[in-house]
Amino acid sequence: MSELRRDPISGRWNIIDTTQPVGPEGFEVEPPMQSAGKCPFCYGNEAMTPREIYAVRPQGGPPTGPGWNLRVVPNKFPALQIEGDLGRRGLGVFDLCNGVGAHEVIIETPEHDRQFADLSVPQVAEVIRAYIARSLDLRGDRRLRYTLLFKNYGLSAGATLEHAHSQLIALPIVPKRVQEELQGAGRYFDFRERCSYCDVLHQELQEDERVVCENRSFVAYCPYVSSFPFETWILPREHRGDFAKITPDTVTDFARILKETLGRLRTVLGNPPYNFVIHTAPIEPREREEYHWHVELIPKLTKIAGFEWGTGFYINPTPPELAAKHLREAAWVPAAV
Amino acid sequence: MPELRRDPLIGRWVIIATDRAKRPVDFVTSQEEPLPQGDCPFCEGKEGATPQEIMAVRGNGGANGSNGPGWSVRVVPSINPVLRIEGQLNRRAKGIYDVMDGIGAHEVIVETPRHIANAADLSTEQLHAAFQACIGRIADLEQDPRFRYALWFKNYGDIAGAGKIQHSRSQLIATPVTPLRVKEELVGARRYFDIKERCLVCDIVIQEQEAGTRIVLESEHAIALCPFASRFPFEVWILPKRHGCDFGRVHPAALADVARLFKQILSRLKAALDDPAYNALLHTAPFRAQRGKIGHWKTIEDDYHWHIELIPRLTRVAGFEWGTGFYINPTPPEEAAKYLREAAVE
Repeated sequence: MSELRRDPISGRWNIIDTTQPVGPEGFEVEPPMQSAGKCPFCYGNEAMTPREIYAVRPQGGPPTGPGWNLRVVPNKFPALQIEGDLGRRGLGVFDLCNGVGAHEVIIETPEHDRQFADLSVPQVAEVIRAYIARSLDLRGDRRLRYTLLFKNYGLSAGATLEHAHSQLIALPIVPKRVQEELQGAGRYFDFRERCSYCDVLHQELQEDERVVCENRSFVAYCPYVSSFPFETWILPREHRGDFAKITPDTVTDFARILKETLGRLRTVLGNPPYNFVIHTAPIEPREREEYHWHVELIPKLTKIAGFEWGTGFYINPTPPELAAKHLREAAWVPAAV
Repeated sequence: MPELRRDPLIGRWVIIATDRAKRPVDFVTSQEEPLPQGDCPFCEGKEGATPQEIMAVRGNGGANGSNGPGWSVRVVPSINPVLRIEGQLNRRAKGIYDVMDGIGAHEVIVETPRHIANAADLSTEQLHAAFQACIGRIADLEQDPRFRYALWFKNYGDIAGAGKIQHSRSQLIATPVTPLRVKEELVGARRYFDIKERCLVCDIVIQEQEAGTRIVLESEHAIALCPFASRFPFEVWILPKRHGCDFGRVHPAALADVARLFKQILSRLKAALDDPAYNALLHTAPFRAQRGKIGHWKTIEDDYHWHIELIPRLTRVAGFEWGTGFYINPTPPEEAAKYLREAAVE
């Protein structure tokens, strides 16, 4: 018998196939992508990108030259543009505003053939520090309400370049999924005066059925109401709504668990395409007591069909308990650092 | 300058990239190795390959449920159902979580006895008969007190989830909960109605008729348009012009028009986009027969407007979309509607 499970925060129901659960061998994984031509993210090709916004250059050097470990540049084909007014207006029954916002690319390494999961823990920590620095900087712009940090890896996850990179999009509105989370978490908090994510984390640690790995500051687990096979969330143990305000001493723990989770996914599924997204509180002066920032990591293994579009509820062929078991038991050698 | 547009019904924002608008040629379509026609379980003469039929449209000869050839439309239980029909819901708690058994109905509406993959290549009459079969099935499923909603949908092409069987069909899944996306629409529609005492979608249809730029086709009883805040390139909605919350109670003339527009739009998508994969789905009012007009849906007859959504699968949904529920659409709906209006179809 399959199960219908409801997410306690968003209220979303999913169908989990517990009758004929599909393990890792049940999915076909696309081969790694290979883009042709000169890579604009490689060492020596700095002039191919728009002017850099942020970089890690241990020995210094000009922003257009080599000598960097990490670079943040504007997206050459931005979904949103940084210049201009918001121009919120109505059009009869419709609402619209100008596509104002920031769209930046975080080039995670100068090496073309290095996947994010293969970076060292200090390198991943450097990427996280770039996320934080850029988030904090964009906060000064009063037009912006939300900063989204995410990574598309592999063709079917939406990547168009293979060189390791993640993206930042700052938006003039709070996106719908985040709003749903905020509303759900707010309702829960009003009633119980506790954070729903802290309660979920507590229950997950107690049941210990869906936990993948953990360290001093973070826990990775497959959510009870996973929409996708092998979906994995990373939650900080410490309650905090705003990702950009994490304490410096937990950055390395975050890097470590992110790398470990990606490494385990690769061991179990053989280098699948994936997306990860950092869910954090909107840009606003008040502290969101009810919210808890986290990472949602989704390997792209299934196809989204009419039922999912029509209902917003997902059919997941791999129960999260089974996914977590595979990920937990995967051979994983922590880095020496 | 790209635009952010808000869907007035559920409040979802979409980025419309007006500057680097993508034309039909910018999208590629892919195909997977199909199942040979001889192995297709949905062809006439292969009735034994499916579970026992639930209903069929048979011109002459062969009673309903006879499970033999001689039919034009046939409804069978899914071979791989995602939900099971037998049993009780067994709603329960698991700590902080809610869970219930996976009870529901999962049926396949085989739209033609012939091995035709794309519904675009079926006749209007054939599609009309398939929609009528769907209405019959929804009416029957509504009698089951365990169910709250039935979603009719269609997957065509590999990336749209059709699998390897290339035989035109749609599916019906009855669920014991009202799906989130439908609930969002119901809430949005009622919010508008509370203020204006008018149906939002009726207002949209009037505005679109005045603007004209996003209309693809229009007939006496139905209209096909690319929504103002389209999530996807070449997304098309088909709506009845006359207000109605319930597809099951559509006027016969309007249903015939909807079938005609559906066929037309599919043919135009096929011509303009080189036979793309697509999903189609129906949004209609949840089941009320067993529950009455209780609770918060008391104005649903007046505030909700059923419609069909057609989504060609041209772009890859990436991390940004999953994370935010907010879509980047590279083709402004005005452009899409223009291409589809001008598409040459035989």
